Amino acid sequence: MAFALQVLMNALSLGSLYALAALGIGLLFGVLKLINFAHGDFITVGAYALIVPSAATQATLLLGDFHPLILIPCIVAVVVILALISEFLVFRPLRNASPATLMIGSFALGFIIQNILIMIYGGRPKAVGIWSDLSLGVELMEGVEVPKLQLIIIGVTLVLMVVLVLFLTKTKYGIHMRAAAEDFRMARMLGIEANRVIMLAVAISGMLAAAVSMLFVVQTGILDFRMGVSLMLFAFIATVIGGMGSLVGSVVGGFAVGAVSILLQTFLPSEMRVFRDVFVFAIVIFILLVRPQGLVMSRASRERV
Amino acid sequence: MLEVKDLEVRYGRLTALRGVNLSIKEGEIACIVGPNGAGKSTTLLAISSVLTPTAGSISFAGRQINGTRPEDVARLGISQVPEGRHIFTSLSVEENLRVGTATRSDKEEMKRDYDRVIETFPILGERRRQSAGKLSGGEQQMLAIGRALMTNPRFMTIDEPSLGLAPKIVDRVYEVLIDLREKRGLTLLIVEQSSERALKAADTLYVLRNGTIQLTGNAADLQDGKAVHKAYFGFSEDHEGEVMI
Repeated sequence: MAFALQVLMNALSLGSLYALAALGIGLLFGVLKLINFAHGDFITVGAYALIVPSAATQATLLLGDFHPLILIPCIVAVVVILALISEFLVFRPLRNASPATLMIGSFALGFIIQNILIMIYGGRPKAVGIWSDLSLGVELMEGVEVPKLQLIIIGVTLVLMVVLVLFLTKTKYGIHMRAAAEDFRMARMLGIEANRVIMLAVAISGMLAAAVSMLFVVQTGILDFRMGVSLMLFAFIATVIGGMGSLVGSVVGGFAVGAVSILLQTFLPSEMRVFRDVFVFAIVIFILLVRPQGLVMSRASRERV
Repeated sequence: MLEVKDLEVRYGRLTALRGVNLSIKEGEIACIVGPNGAGKSTTLLAISSVLTPTAGSISFAGRQINGTRPEDVARLGISQVPEGRHIFTSLSVEENLRVGTATRSDKEEMKRDYDRVIETFPILGERRRQSAGKLSGGEQQMLAIGRALMTNPRFMTIDEPSLGLAPKIVDRVYEVLIDLREKRGLTLLIVEQSSERALKAADTLYVLRNGTIQLTGNAADLQDGKAVHKAYFGFSEDHEGEVMI
């Protein structure tokens, strides 16, 4: 029982990170039909913003030293501004290009961001310890101790999802965004400003990336210019198996990928654990074979005749 | 109110419209009829600035609107009910109607327009919380018209309102359209494939074939249908037996 709960908490917290990253990707895919492979690098930049820009091997905290109430908005601002700059410089000029071109554009953007990070901070991973007391355990019940951070990750994810749902269903701009995600041309014919909706989606996607940055870096304690890439890979897989274009699907996919990873990590024989991701990807391929439309079918693709 | 001059639209190398002229007066119901592929929807999409014309001009209330963005055209008071209705199926009925008010900030009048739409189509009121994708074809058409009305348009274009609907529902849709002109003074441009119903509703009729207007006329003068038939098919009715499919 205690063991099962421990595994469940691990799965939920990893799934939360994937779900948040997948939501950021899914949101942008909805309105722009862009699979933003630079999303992972947005996450990386959010984490690097914690330290003083220098190539020194020892990281010196910059934003990371501030009180959370200042630190969090600053990191969010950095990532959102980066996302908006990307929209202006990369995605907007490619607005009428095919989705494949857009995707390749986002790859290029990702590489540029990574290399700028190497230029400024150097290529070596750096240790950062912020909020290290969060990794202390909390006793959930007798014999079950989980790091405080896991609870925070799960909690933050839940709150962000609730806020996002409220925004999308209760506010004018949220409804516009859902309309634009389903039928962009029709939305414009009704007077919805295309660029405004897209910028809003980009900004929200950036906020979600910033949240992942902070949670992830507190968890790992390490900065690496590729740290967002693997996260992006899993989050992308989550959106694919969840069903492209469905936000619910992104969340379901995120938690599914998280759960599968943790289960394999826990139950694979120890000598096979290094190949964990091989099994994860095999399961993904299997899901795509039996359910190519994804676990949750997006309503935009299900048309009534 | 709407002047279309020598409009030409191309899809790549294919020329869809080659010099279309329309002149629609305020408060009238104009109808474009024509066979499949004549360029009817293309004309409406060009008016809404979704398509960019390669030549010619479109002006609305004295202002040139070709070359602007679709959202600007909507803001000027032109609303389109497109072919296939394009309602937002993942949104509720009420949300669909709310999207129609994107350009507006006049809260009280928005509420009044909403009530009017519900009064015209009571079924939309009953289903307002339901997902719009669950509506029947006829209800979706009503929602698409209602949504267009929520933009508070001065000019509305409707692409094949009778497509895929039972005759009884088509009657209801036309009743509403004619009523909109009578009660609100709305100017309408309706596109249809069959000329019969369009002739009954319209003041002015345009027959479009092969991307050009073949015939323009006062609908009342064209009631016997012979001239329309010739313009529509490119040959007169006497040959009907030989060539009709």
